[in-house]
Amino acid sequence: MGNDVEELITSALSAAAASLVAPGDWLTGDQRRAAAIQVLDARTNELDEQRRQAISPNAVVGGHTATGELSAEAVEVVHRVASDPGRLTRSWAEQLIAVLGEEAYTELVGVAACAMVLDTFSWALQDNEASFGSSIQGMPANERPEDVGDVGAWVSQSTGSGMANVSRSLSLVPVTNSAWVGLVQAMYSRGPGFLDLEWDRALSRPQVELVAARTTAELECFY
Amino acid sequence: MLLGASGDKAGLTVDLDVAIDPSKSGDAGVPSGEELLAFASAANRRSETLPQARAALKAVVGPEGLLEAAATVAIFNGLVRVADGTGIQLDPSMLTSTADTRATLGLDLFSGAANSEGAPTEPRQDGTGVMSMFS
Repeated sequence: MGNDVEELITSALSAAAASLVAPGDWLTGDQRRAAAIQVLDARTNELDEQRRQAISPNAVVGGHTATGELSAEAVEVVHRVASDPGRLTRSWAEQLIAVLGEEAYTELVGVAACAMVLDTFSWALQDNEASFGSSIQGMPANERPEDVGDVGAWVSQSTGSGMANVSRSLSLVPVTNSAWVGLVQAMYSRGPGFLDLEWDRALSRPQVELVAARTTAELECFY
Repeated sequence: MLLGASGDKAGLTVDLDVAIDPSKSGDAGVPSGEELLAFASAANRRSETLPQARAALKAVVGPEGLLEAAATVAIFNGLVRVADGTGIQLDPSMLTSTADTRATLGLDLFSGAANSEGAPTEPRQDGTGVMSMFS
């Protein structure tokens, strides 16, 4: 069983890593790879650190600058999502969505989240940061799903799906969502067994949920 | 919510306050809880104590248990970014079911709580009902 679990997780991480450097929904492989690298930079970035230490991130003067692949607004999204997710606000998001569009904004959030999973896992086990391969050329899908709309979040999501809000949070960007869901399935929910309050895993259900509770608290996540 | 529900099912008396407050010590009523919490905090903060916390956890839950703990820390780092970055609301039944716990633990003070102000609610569900939303 141990090898099965390790293979399941390793496979999902490999798929997500490949997705991060490949053409996505609205971003190219070069842009997605650049965004993933910005996630790593956010850990030690001086501006991000100043914002984290401030009573409000808005109290800090200055902003992130564009890179060769990403606009300043795109860099801002990635850095704030990576470095200070608990203090994001609707007004902040709306300003960036007005420039980037909600599809690209959502994709950047998803890329940042996937890159954060890879990087955190690597740190947790080996004290190493994640690395990303060379980008793959090609065109993004450029397709907006038809069954998305306003369900109360900052961005459009699947309507009438009956799913938890967190489960449909990236449904606006299917390519990105596919890699994301693969990670969630491998590293946490693992299919119908998620419904059981007792798990036959190396850690019991309460042990897993204890780690989850402390992690979300460390990041001041309300959801 | 799932910590409390799964703890109840296992016959544990889970201390949610210890679970979410890094300044408090103890095992939160969960087997190997002290090692799990130390590892979770160290991994999230990427602190200098991480190697020691990792070794201590591995000693009590084994290499596969450590793998599961690392996977949990990692995926919840992503889940938090997705939830907070897209501004999702707390689901209707969850908003009702967790009201008392959120108030007791001070979770309503988190900035992200603003996303759920005025959000629709549904009758309280038990643990199984809440979990079914994630299937």
